[in-house]
Amino acid sequence: MISDTELQEMYGWMVTARYYEERLQEEYLEGKQPAFDISAGPIPGELHLAAGQEAAAAGVCSHLDDADTVTAPHRPHHVAIAKGVDLERMTAEIFGRRTGLCKGKGGHMHLFDSAVNFAGSGIIAEGCPPAVGAALAAKKRGEDSVAVAYLGEGAISQGGFLESLNLASVQNLPVLFVIEDNDWAISMPKERVTDIRNGSQRADGFDMPGKRVDYDDACAVYEAAGEAIGRARDGNGPTLLEVQVHRRMGHFMGDAEGYRPEGDSERAKRRDSIERMETTLQKAGIDDDTIGDIRDRSHQRVDDAIEWAKDQPEPEPDEAYDDVFTNPPAGWTPNTKPEQAESTGGDD
Amino acid sequence: MAEADEPETAETTDERETTMSRAMVSAIASEMRDSDDVFVMGEDVADYGGIFDSTDGLLDEFGREKIMDVPISETGFIGAAVGAAQAGMRPIAELMFADFFGVGMDQIYNQMAKNTYMSGSTVNVPMVLMTAVGGTYNDAAQHSQTLYGTFAHLPGMKVVVPSTAADAKGLMHTAIRDDDPVVYMFHKRLMGIGWMPAPDGPKTSVPEDDYTIDFGEADVKREGDDVTVVTLGLHVHRALEAAADLTGEIDVEVIDLRTLVPLDTETVLESVRKTGRLVVIDEDYHSFGLSGEIIARATEGALADLSAVRRVTMPDAPIPYARPLEQAVNPGREDIIEAVQAVTE
Amino acid sequence: MSDEIVAVESETVWPADSDDVEEAIVSSWFVREGTAVTEGDPIAEIQIEKVSLDVPAPATGEIHELLVDEQGEFERGDTLARISTDQ
Repeated sequence: MISDTELQEMYGWMVTARYYEERLQEEYLEGKQPAFDISAGPIPGELHLAAGQEAAAAGVCSHLDDADTVTAPHRPHHVAIAKGVDLERMTAEIFGRRTGLCKGKGGHMHLFDSAVNFAGSGIIAEGCPPAVGAALAAKKRGEDSVAVAYLGEGAISQGGFLESLNLASVQNLPVLFVIEDNDWAISMPKERVTDIRNGSQRADGFDMPGKRVDYDDACAVYEAAGEAIGRARDGNGPTLLEVQVHRRMGHFMGDAEGYRPEGDSERAKRRDSIERMETTLQKAGIDDDTIGDIRDRSHQRVDDAIEWAKDQPEPEPDEAYDDVFTNPPAGWTPNTKPEQAESTGGDD
Repeated sequence: MAEADEPETAETTDERETTMSRAMVSAIASEMRDSDDVFVMGEDVADYGGIFDSTDGLLDEFGREKIMDVPISETGFIGAAVGAAQAGMRPIAELMFADFFGVGMDQIYNQMAKNTYMSGSTVNVPMVLMTAVGGTYNDAAQHSQTLYGTFAHLPGMKVVVPSTAADAKGLMHTAIRDDDPVVYMFHKRLMGIGWMPAPDGPKTSVPEDDYTIDFGEADVKREGDDVTVVTLGLHVHRALEAAADLTGEIDVEVIDLRTLVPLDTETVLESVRKTGRLVVIDEDYHSFGLSGEIIARATEGALADLSAVRRVTMPDAPIPYARPLEQAVNPGREDIIEAVQAVTE
Repeated sequence: MSDEIVAVESETVWPADSDDVEEAIVSSWFVREGTAVTEGDPIAEIQIEKVSLDVPAPATGEIHELLVDEQGEFERGDTLARISTDQ
């Protein structure tokens, strides 16, 4: 049974994530109209939005605390928010500011918040092995923390994922793999790149429990994830969970989605996990004022974070050369341009 | 309306300009029309037409059997290209970003690159591995590298880096017809994609007929007597801009390497013997790579003629996300001007 | 033999699903002033929001004038170029 507090918390994460991405989209497109120039505007680089995938974040992260590890792929915002990543510093990172989570070095695909054990990777499926490693560390230390690796359905044919399933299984590690099935790997529909409809069937080959939640109901995800994470904490090994979600946006901002059949995007938008969650809250007897309050507070939190982030300073150019090593070896230099100009005939 | 007469049509052909992506696509399409052995495999190469337009429009003409979207499984599909090539076909596999080579590297450097040698030439691997390289649009450390030196370092692969539409087309024809594996590295910023505006330069007039450009022939993109600038890819255009800015002050020769394996050492040496000064501009990392190799060859071949050497490269640091940081690390026109001035002081 | 000027109109190529958009840019010109063109040849690529499409030459002739710069913005209904045709 999900408590009212948990329901409200999940709803709060979901509306925060949705509104956050709406605001990011506005900011991102500033300076990119009418021409969409990826290198213009206040937010640099690519932007992959996860609107329509919030339920998969909320239903899982509700069972986690700061000591548990989460790795997320290139579409990370909703998961980061549900995991408790610092919203202001995450936003500053996305704006490329020096007070961002990663001092402006990582950007939106590569968010790291060690305070809540959250890490990102922009390479498909490559967040899976480090999640296995976090679980391995927990097991070796006798801690009951778990690791969760998020991936898209496009990643389930990648070696890094399949090898991780095997390793987690054979070592009986406390890992939950969460496939967010949004039907599309950029322009490639699931059926073109795999013959299984249900990604959790991949678990069968590794003698691991696999489960699919066929609709993006945060409560159904909560139930499935709760069972899996409970099993992991009790020392009973990994689980593979697939959740049907919906990609409301293009793969990245700038994707014209010409490959998407007519009506597909609209269909994705009609199936709204947030509306579904509101109905659930109402059925649980939570009144509309309380729901409205959660929404307003979430929106305010997002607006505040964006306002704060935009006021933050950009990094100084020389900071590009910091952080290559934790302990830079004596005599090592990154061979920066100014050094080249000062030296003659080489610089090493 | 009158029909255009013959000479006018010919004139049209010569003067029309095209983007680098369209030039590549036209070469692939032409080779596919000529041979049933040529086909394309990659992520988002079909309906999307390649994230950077490298296969744009090919699905319409050739269909899904020939323009194959494949699972996100680089080891699988790059390795399948190796096997199909060894079976006598001429696959073109696209690795979406060169940065992703890690997830399929064994097939690239232990299979594709070595099978000819290990088999004593009893098999060969006539495939093209086409891949997008380079930064300048703040895509951070996992999506912005060129890795020129990494691929060129490992024996057994020919490595091609076009900088203009005309070069891209001829080099693609050569790559597909070559009996060895060819890594064809195209810079995203040069493709002429609507959402990533190219600098002036890569869009050129391109003959409509098929033509090849031999590997191992660097192209002197600008002649000059004072300083030799050796570069490739995007930085050919940055070097040409720098050279134009220095007109009247320093006479800069700009050499576009075009292929790294084979490397046209002779063109570099000839130029260095003339100018006595060498500047290498490279969007790859500084150490153990392309810039060091070019300088080594120049010193081995023309030490007595050399009076000054510089290199301007990416530093030995991953590529940062924030705009001021990426601008700091990626060699710009001003950096090139400074280096050229430094060797003439 | 006299020259007639044919306008390259943005309205003609504007796609139906971009009816709510009023501005676009020329991402690339494939011709310069003076280039001979054949009817139907792509002479430019334009970008309407995120959608790229080719602009075909509406007539055979010579490019008389390019009216929008590369990377330049224009509004729906603007003329992009003029072609002079031999009559």
